[in-house]
Amino acid sequence: MAQSSLDVLLKGSSGKSTRGLLRIIILLTIAAAAVASRLFSVIRFESIIHEFDPWFNFRATKYLVQNGFYSFWDWFDDRMLPPSQCLRVVRSPRYHRAALIQFLPHLGTWHPLGRVTGGTLYPGLMVTSGVIYHILRLLTIPVDIRNVCVLLAPGFSGLTALAMYLLTREMSHSPSAGLLAAAFMGITPGYISRSVAGSYDNEAIAIFLLVFTFFLWIKAVKNGSIMWGALTALFYGYMVSAWGGYVFITNLIPLHVFVLLCMGRYSSRLYISYTTCDHMSALGVFGLIQLVAFAEFVRAYLPGKQFQKLLTSMVLLTFGLGFTGLVLLSVSGVIAPWSGRFYSLWDTGYAKIHIPIIASVSEHQPTAWPAFFFDLNFLIWLFPAGVFMCFQNLKDEHVFVIIYAVLSSYFAGVMVRLMLTLTPIVCVAAALALSTIFDSFLVMTKPTPESKEKANADKSKAFSSTKKPVVGIYSYFSKAIVTGSLTIYLLMFVAHCTWVTSNAYSSPSVVLASRLPDGSQHIIDDYREAYYWLRQNTEDNAKIMSWWDYGYQIGGMADRPTLVDNNTWNNTHIATVGKAMSSREEVSYPILRQHDVDYVLVVFGGLSSGIWPDEIKERDFFTARGEYRVDEEATPTMKNSLMYKMSYYNYNSLFPAGQAVDRVRGVKLPAESPTLNTLEEAFTSENWIIRIFKVKDLDNFGRDHSNAVSFDKDLKRKRATKKKGPRVLRTE
Amino acid sequence: MKWCLSLLLCCFLAAVNALSSSGSRLLVVLDESTEKSAYSTLWSDLEGRGYDLSFESPKSDSLSLFEHGERAYDHLLILPPKSKGLGPNLTPKNVLDFLDKDGNIILALSGKSSTSSAISSLLLEVDIHLSNDRSAVVVDHFNYDTVSATEKHDVLLLNRPGPLRPDVKALFDGEGVLALPRVAPQTLGNTSPLISPVLRAPETAYAYNPKEEIPAADDIEATGSQLNIVSALQSRNSARLTILGSVEALEDKWFSATVKTPGGKKTTTANREFAKQLTAWTFKETGVLKVGKIEHHLASNGEVSVDDLNPKIYRIKNETFFSIEMSEYAYDKWVPFRGSTGDELQLEFTMLSPFHRLALQPTGKTETSTVFSAQFVTPDQHGIFSFRVNYKRPFLTNIEEKHEVTVRHFAHDEYPRSWAISGGWVWIAGLWSVIGGFLAFVVVWLYSAPVVDKLKKTQ
Repeated sequence: MAQSSLDVLLKGSSGKSTRGLLRIIILLTIAAAAVASRLFSVIRFESIIHEFDPWFNFRATKYLVQNGFYSFWDWFDDRMLPPSQCLRVVRSPRYHRAALIQFLPHLGTWHPLGRVTGGTLYPGLMVTSGVIYHILRLLTIPVDIRNVCVLLAPGFSGLTALAMYLLTREMSHSPSAGLLAAAFMGITPGYISRSVAGSYDNEAIAIFLLVFTFFLWIKAVKNGSIMWGALTALFYGYMVSAWGGYVFITNLIPLHVFVLLCMGRYSSRLYISYTTCDHMSALGVFGLIQLVAFAEFVRAYLPGKQFQKLLTSMVLLTFGLGFTGLVLLSVSGVIAPWSGRFYSLWDTGYAKIHIPIIASVSEHQPTAWPAFFFDLNFLIWLFPAGVFMCFQNLKDEHVFVIIYAVLSSYFAGVMVRLMLTLTPIVCVAAALALSTIFDSFLVMTKPTPESKEKANADKSKAFSSTKKPVVGIYSYFSKAIVTGSLTIYLLMFVAHCTWVTSNAYSSPSVVLASRLPDGSQHIIDDYREAYYWLRQNTEDNAKIMSWWDYGYQIGGMADRPTLVDNNTWNNTHIATVGKAMSSREEVSYPILRQHDVDYVLVVFGGLSSGIWPDEIKERDFFTARGEYRVDEEATPTMKNSLMYKMSYYNYNSLFPAGQAVDRVRGVKLPAESPTLNTLEEAFTSENWIIRIFKVKDLDNFGRDHSNAVSFDKDLKRKRATKKKGPRVLRTE
Repeated sequence: MKWCLSLLLCCFLAAVNALSSSGSRLLVVLDESTEKSAYSTLWSDLEGRGYDLSFESPKSDSLSLFEHGERAYDHLLILPPKSKGLGPNLTPKNVLDFLDKDGNIILALSGKSSTSSAISSLLLEVDIHLSNDRSAVVVDHFNYDTVSATEKHDVLLLNRPGPLRPDVKALFDGEGVLALPRVAPQTLGNTSPLISPVLRAPETAYAYNPKEEIPAADDIEATGSQLNIVSALQSRNSARLTILGSVEALEDKWFSATVKTPGGKKTTTANREFAKQLTAWTFKETGVLKVGKIEHHLASNGEVSVDDLNPKIYRIKNETFFSIEMSEYAYDKWVPFRGSTGDELQLEFTMLSPFHRLALQPTGKTETSTVFSAQFVTPDQHGIFSFRVNYKRPFLTNIEEKHEVTVRHFAHDEYPRSWAISGGWVWIAGLWSVIGGFLAFVVVWLYSAPVVDKLKKTQ
């Protein structure tokens, strides 16, 4: 009989183990789904590294694998390998136009400053993939390091789903909450956006480490075990080596402890777990917990109610003193503990005023409201419900969830990038809420009278506000309605996630896809076309100047040194490039000469101001009506800037006379092309997205470039008109 | 490879006869063949120095400076045409292109007739200016030839020029007097560092147009030594253009004329030697520098193995040794280069701006070159540096050497160990005292178990 066999499986101790087995199978399936949904880009395009930063990480990993850890540590990024080792042509069926080039880059960036790479990056990512690579080699699985790098993020997202299960399991008694959280984490777009195959960035492993560290921390707090505390510390250390976002943990855990202390929930468990994983930067809370421990110790020997008062006042006094001291020191400038990015977290306007370089990065912009729904879908409205559940059941770990939720939702609102830290807690909270709903609505049996009687008994004893509400639904109809609608929500969530992943987050951004009027897909491959041109047509160490977004890609794909790249460690240098780009030719040319620039690469349009506010004023680029115009009415500053000239040089030749139109901005351009004296056009990509200009050498006969150009155009030079005042005599 | 071949070729040809360092095809552009005989001594002198002379009229259709996009001649000597302009094949653009492709030019002017506007606009491009009406003549009432120009005072008698500046090599000096009849003066612009005067008019000279009235004082552009009789341009690619104000000075007649200054003795002119110096310089027989071997290596380990020579990467604060071999061409052979006194060859160690600028001292000599070297410590700044020798002097070809090396930071194991730093002892002591204290505590803890427990257990 089927019924009895099911009973055998589901009841008693064998039922327990069956459920355990099912849980494992479900978890593995979730992990597999998490990996699979991130492979869109590999299937649709190819196994290629995406975007900007991952190109550098990939290059660094390559170096690590080839030269070992110590030389990676001491790596000074100038050049890596002889060029002969670097080129490998891969033929891809998806690109009929040209064979693709996959290669090991060998030339460095940040010309001419160089970069102490080993000391300025987070090595966790590279070391992880290096270790995986060597283990696979050890198991005689011949795998290319590129594939390890491409698939690292999906692989770790599978692990994140598992870690999520463990974390949520600690929060709730219902195992379904853990499974739901794991499933959410596996496919939520907020996390997928940073971990599709090929998105080889620090976040790829950092989110796993974040979730796992929190799990270990909760475990340590719950058990008061030195072992869990030590494990937390270990994974925290790993996290520090992998992602700059580690400050989040550094601040969150002490805050958790502090809040617990303020709630009077000190316990030896807390003391043990916190002191075991010692956090340097949370020194204040560390000291505080020592004091509290001492006080508790004293209280054990001293009776008296007033001691409680003494204790609290002492704690508050100490903390107050420390805090005022810190504020005083910060204000007086003795210590400057907060970096610019930190300020921009508090005041979204701060970055715009003081560090335009940070504000200019799109992922540092405040988040738009639709983005929350786009990235988290229906989880976002389950999230508050889940947080509310935590309040109902306020244990230490739930306090943690609340703190985490509050902090990360604020930060995610400030910076798009921090949506990533919000995602895990949203998954946890939503899973808690959803599992509670399911646990009450998905029960076949009606609530037994005993429980009802018990509830009634409770009612008589306690106030109605504090009693536990009667949980139990009698009607199958309402059960079916709620369950059904939630199932539909879940299915829609899956559909949404798949759609978002496939459409928004799986393009490598090096290659753009667009639709032609007839609906067929048209792939715009201008970036690679241009980088390939640089690779083929310029000297091996020709210096390329471009805006810093493209630095890593030029280093990676065009294999030429660049002036600045995405590692924005030197704002002045970047600003110099910005100045060169947005100044008049006469100002730019000496800068270009000084930096030995051979080629200038511009992406059609785009402007930015650096930290030379005296010389580059954004204001000047706008017209009197406060508009940003590129057409006939553009301001002289705009028209004279190198950037504008390079973008629109000879642009009118594409159109019939007087009808030049910038389709992206939808404006009509002046009929005459700007003149460029110090640069000459070297390359323009098929769709005019990338233009490359060669910097002219000084004139052979010591003339101005403008004079030389007008001489070449056979314009008669006017004899210099007589200057007023006395003649200046030539002296030797 | 290229210089190797050219050196080989040079050696081979030098064995046959003396030769310029940059080729022997010389084109002389002159108006009519009748004029040619007036300069026969010059032609024979040039042929004697190994040049293949060809003569063309500026109007000739066969005259072309380029063939298949390359130079058809190595050098060009342009005598002032009688007619207006230099014709369609010698436009200013062509002439500048010729210089761009490393050709050398002597452009002779004459004060007898007005200079064509094509030449004027060509010279304007290189910041050399002719007088407003392009037909001025230099006159000096103190340094004229009393034999031939008693009335007009337009044949200047001058000593051969010394060094331009105390620190510049004198390439045109020597004994004797130069006779320079009817000089078309040039003035040099203030801005261009590429032009320099070879022979300047004396302070008492002035320029005027004999066909016009003497202009008002305001309109006079230049007088005295601001007027140049011979001036030179050396472009950035070291191509040379010499402007000679008086073409007559090259004539046979003036090579051996007897002249007399007011109140001086009768002497014969030194025009022939000066013409030799001038053509030799312009056609790159003199004042040509060449860089031989460039070596750099770590200085600390004395002996340098081949592997350590010219390393691609240095570390900050490395002792570094740099040496460069320099040769100079003297008419027919390479000789060791000697800078003039008061001038020095400098080495720059540069990233964006020089971190070191050091004098290179002559430390050795080979058969054809001098070895200059310097020793220094790399700065405390990592980056991509370059050894730069940027030696640009009037009348010497430009030397611009740039060798990029990387200067890296200290590797993790190149710092002194912690115990070697006395300031770190406090921390080390703290560290070990904690470890020791903990161990001691554990030991004490383990061996001081309370006895009461044992009693309880036994009960």
